[in-house]
Amino acid sequence: MTAFRRLPAGGRIDRAKPVTASFDDKPLAGFSGDTLASALLANGKLLIARSFKYHRPRGVMTAGIEEPNALFTLGEGARTEPNIPGTMTDLIDGLVARSQNAWPSADFDLMAVNSLLSPLFQSGFYYKTFMGPTKRAWMFYEPFIRRAAGLGAATTNADPDRYDTRHEFCDVLVVGSGPAGLAAALTAGRSGARVVLAEQESLFGGSLLAEADEANESWRASAVDELTALGNVILRTRTTVQGLYDGNLAVLVERRDHLNPHAAKGQPRQVLISLRCKAIIHATGAIERPLVFSNNDRPGVMLASALRTYLNRFGVAPAKRAVITTNNDTAYDAAIDLARAGIAVTVADHRTSIAANVAARAAALGVAVFPGTGIADVEGGKTVKRVKLSGAHAATIDCDALGMAGGWSPVVHLSSHGGIKPKYDEAIAAFVPGGFAPGHFGAGAVIGSFGFATAITEGAKAGASAASMAGFGKTRPVLAPEHVSDSTYSILPVWTPPQTAKGKAFVDFQSDVTSQDIKSAHQEGYQSVEHLKRYTTLGMGTDQGKTSNINALAMMAGHRAITIPEAGTTTFRPPYSPLTMGAIAGRGAGPHFRPRRLSPLHDWHKANGCTFIEAGPWMRAWYYAWAGNSPEAAYVKEMELVRKGVGLADVSTLGKIDIQGPDAAEFLNRVYVNGFAKLPIGKVRYGIMLNDDGVVLDDGTTARISDTQFYLTTTTAQAGEVMSWLEYLLQCHWTDLDVQVASLTDQWAGMAVSGPKAREALQLAFPDADVSSAALPHMGCRDITFDGATLRLLRMSFSGELAYEIHVAADHAIPLWEHILKAAAPLGIKPYGLEALASLRIEKGHVAGLELDHRNTLDDLGLGKMAGKDKAYVGKDLRFREKLQAPERWSLVGIELMEPDKKLRGGSILFSASDEIKGHGRGYITSVTWSTELNKFIALGLYQGGLKHEGEEIVCAFPLKNEQVKAKIVSPHFIDREGTRLNA
Amino acid sequence: MLERRSALAATLPYRSSILQMGEMCCFSLCQVASKEAALPAKVGTAGEYKGCTVLRIGPSQFWFIAPHTDDLAAELKGLGAVTPLSHSRVRIFLEGDPARDVLAKGIPLDFHKSAFKPGMFAMTGLHHTPVLVHCVSETRFELYALRTFAMSVWEWLADAALEFAD
Repeated sequence: MTAFRRLPAGGRIDRAKPVTASFDDKPLAGFSGDTLASALLANGKLLIARSFKYHRPRGVMTAGIEEPNALFTLGEGARTEPNIPGTMTDLIDGLVARSQNAWPSADFDLMAVNSLLSPLFQSGFYYKTFMGPTKRAWMFYEPFIRRAAGLGAATTNADPDRYDTRHEFCDVLVVGSGPAGLAAALTAGRSGARVVLAEQESLFGGSLLAEADEANESWRASAVDELTALGNVILRTRTTVQGLYDGNLAVLVERRDHLNPHAAKGQPRQVLISLRCKAIIHATGAIERPLVFSNNDRPGVMLASALRTYLNRFGVAPAKRAVITTNNDTAYDAAIDLARAGIAVTVADHRTSIAANVAARAAALGVAVFPGTGIADVEGGKTVKRVKLSGAHAATIDCDALGMAGGWSPVVHLSSHGGIKPKYDEAIAAFVPGGFAPGHFGAGAVIGSFGFATAITEGAKAGASAASMAGFGKTRPVLAPEHVSDSTYSILPVWTPPQTAKGKAFVDFQSDVTSQDIKSAHQEGYQSVEHLKRYTTLGMGTDQGKTSNINALAMMAGHRAITIPEAGTTTFRPPYSPLTMGAIAGRGAGPHFRPRRLSPLHDWHKANGCTFIEAGPWMRAWYYAWAGNSPEAAYVKEMELVRKGVGLADVSTLGKIDIQGPDAAEFLNRVYVNGFAKLPIGKVRYGIMLNDDGVVLDDGTTARISDTQFYLTTTTAQAGEVMSWLEYLLQCHWTDLDVQVASLTDQWAGMAVSGPKAREALQLAFPDADVSSAALPHMGCRDITFDGATLRLLRMSFSGELAYEIHVAADHAIPLWEHILKAAAPLGIKPYGLEALASLRIEKGHVAGLELDHRNTLDDLGLGKMAGKDKAYVGKDLRFREKLQAPERWSLVGIELMEPDKKLRGGSILFSASDEIKGHGRGYITSVTWSTELNKFIALGLYQGGLKHEGEEIVCAFPLKNEQVKAKIVSPHFIDREGTRLNA
Repeated sequence: MLERRSALAATLPYRSSILQMGEMCCFSLCQVASKEAALPAKVGTAGEYKGCTVLRIGPSQFWFIAPHTDDLAAELKGLGAVTPLSHSRVRIFLEGDPARDVLAKGIPLDFHKSAFKPGMFAMTGLHHTPVLVHCVSETRFELYALRTFAMSVWEWLADAALEFAD
């Protein structure tokens, strides 16, 4: 027996194009233009899902995005995607769909036993039983409950499909393409404005797609034709407007599965569009509500509008008989169309009086109309078999389908995203937008105008207003064709009909919330709609209660004896419908997750055995294969190279800033704590700058190139911040200074030649340049020309050895680096990486990023004496606040390990020898290394009271590994305190 | 002359019959900054000065771009504080009908022909990095990306343009 069938003709399907998909591993035949849901119905498959909690048999209930029941898992393997409504899924060749939440199948589901245990699964059951005083019980039962109740399962594999993002702009966005939307888009389009028409379905037309009227269809077709011909209108089907945000930003998601997108060819499966609009027209229409009665969830019970859509759009109809239950006139459109298709139709109308013209139209087609009649119960286990009527005509009628026409709820979601609450309109018994933000307009069913002619008139008006708002004054409004008139609505809401039968009466089909659950919530005191939602989970499914919210809050209002507007609605938030994470991520995944910053020497490192380490956005040269295959092995050899011979390191990541202007020296003198006004040309000075709160911002070296030009360097980490800080000071505080700054970080590469043989290396590399100590003393700077390129030589040292930095325009970096390695090869020069670079500076006691963490003062770092006493500098006043000068502040110390067979670890917490090892201790280790000079582990750290404790024994605790080692506080300058090597 | 090596030397070429995309080397870029300089550039529109394209990039900051690698800084001496930046940026061109589509994937600017016209430029962001986009003709854009981010920007662009590739 088949309850539904495909009619021999009709519908918007292309019968010349058969399509074969797969459903539960069996072929599913349909036509191009079908949805998965329409194809299932056409094949007589009514029971296609099991409900969330009770595992009750479920079928397709709607024909749109509001579908609560017909959710499927689509795709296979890594492409598996759960909980997709079959009503929104184009039937395409090769589509693989499976039912979910049922085992072994939807038709024969062992979990249906839940239905018998249903007293256990009422709202609040979990909370009361498992969550209260005996939380452990919940921990025990949760996995079992989760397995029994639920939807489809997502895959944990990476999504092989491609997703993309776009930024678009338009004058007028029209959301929805029913009569109002088409009229709006066309009217706005005729003005010349740039219009985007977004339609979530695969065809334009909205409610017109559910009709069979030829005149209406010709109006629709000509509107779409004219829109298509306009060059200034972008038409988007399968595109859902998911959210509206401040500044008229709309987020749209377009689905392209029907095009079989090929990821390797760059074709996205979905595109997320950030659309910035000057005006927005809401023509989002309305969604039909179900009615609440016993067993109203049986497969075959559908919205009346869905029955009509399947009939007229897909050529799918109930086999022989249908019953429609209603409280308004719109049900008769479905009843009449079904009757025309030869189906016997009975209308059970809650209203006792029905308009004569409506009754006459129905009677003319042999539709039986029972006024004052409702539904007492639905019989049939897995599908509808018969319907027991209640009220004036309490008969029992055999039927294949039951249509529910409970009235229409305007789709107010988008109008509320900006924070405007919907308001209740008594005349149509529904919520409508509470208003529109400036630049937003509404037309048609969304504002409660359910007539075709009115929708066109309102759409045209909104289109003209929106175009005018966007600066396009003249247009030719779309007029409603003469044949068109508004049909009547005349709703008489029946929110809580008397329940005479014992079956469950569902309000939220997806979350399995019944009228009894709402009553319980009221009895338990969860009376606000927000509490009702959370207590019963009503509206919390993937459909977000599109069919259930209004019925539920009307019922709650009834229980509380208040009006519906007093009960209010829950808050509408984006997204309007579920989004796949892929669409949000777009192409920002894998290697494109974030950009990587590469040194100008990167390609050389990569080709020459370098292992890289991420440091912020940078990929930095960590260590080289010549020195070892692990960082532990390599950095020690690289350190030895620098201490005993000569090494070459990439320091291009340092921030570099060009400072120019007559007031450049004055500017730097204010920025740095130490004096720069009198720095001689050709000299470099180490400088420290503070934030205006008196805390250290950054350190670096600055060279004076000329009277009016300086070359400033920053640490790698703070380069951007220092640049912004300098610009801010110049543009906002010291507008009187004539100084210009420009970032040179990307313009110049830097390389450090370090070690006792550094000068020899330079002489070999640049035989024409005088690099003697007389010509280039410690902290000297000069530019030389080599092979046509300018090199800036800066004699300064991070390692503590004799060292030079050579800066050169970035494109020359690799040729120059190769030249130095080749020329100085007789000295054994080799590259060394970041690990060795950082370790060498620890031995020397130089602070770096780990110590300059925006929490330490000059004095904490032992650098207080550098600050000028008689000059002003940023941060000077606050630097001397009492707390920042407290003697017990944590300040910089050196630490030596006293237990040779153990290790010092970065981050260790420091305690004095007599302390209990507990809590935050007296400080911590910031940087640690093996010292090749001292043959032991050494570290820099911050310790309460600092070097006052020099020579004392401490304990370094590392709780993660449960280690405690003995160490000693020493000077942070582990090597060459006199600076003999630097000055060599 | 010491050899030059581009930040994009290691990239694979992008090939498409409808979209040409690649690096444009051999240009000079200098920043000129001066509180007084009266230079021919409006906000967002390129100007011209002695054969150079002039882009105003800040309240008193201008970029001068010359189609050669001569010493541009020397030519501009006296106009203000001159900072050579030729090595700091990689210049990437996109030419063809899909160019606007590719850029719209990552840059939140209106790339419609009626909005972003030849001669206009914008300082904006692409793939989390700052870029300057210059519309040279209706179908051609030149993009200035920071050298150290150039590889990521190029890889992003090549991926964005994959659907137009051969």
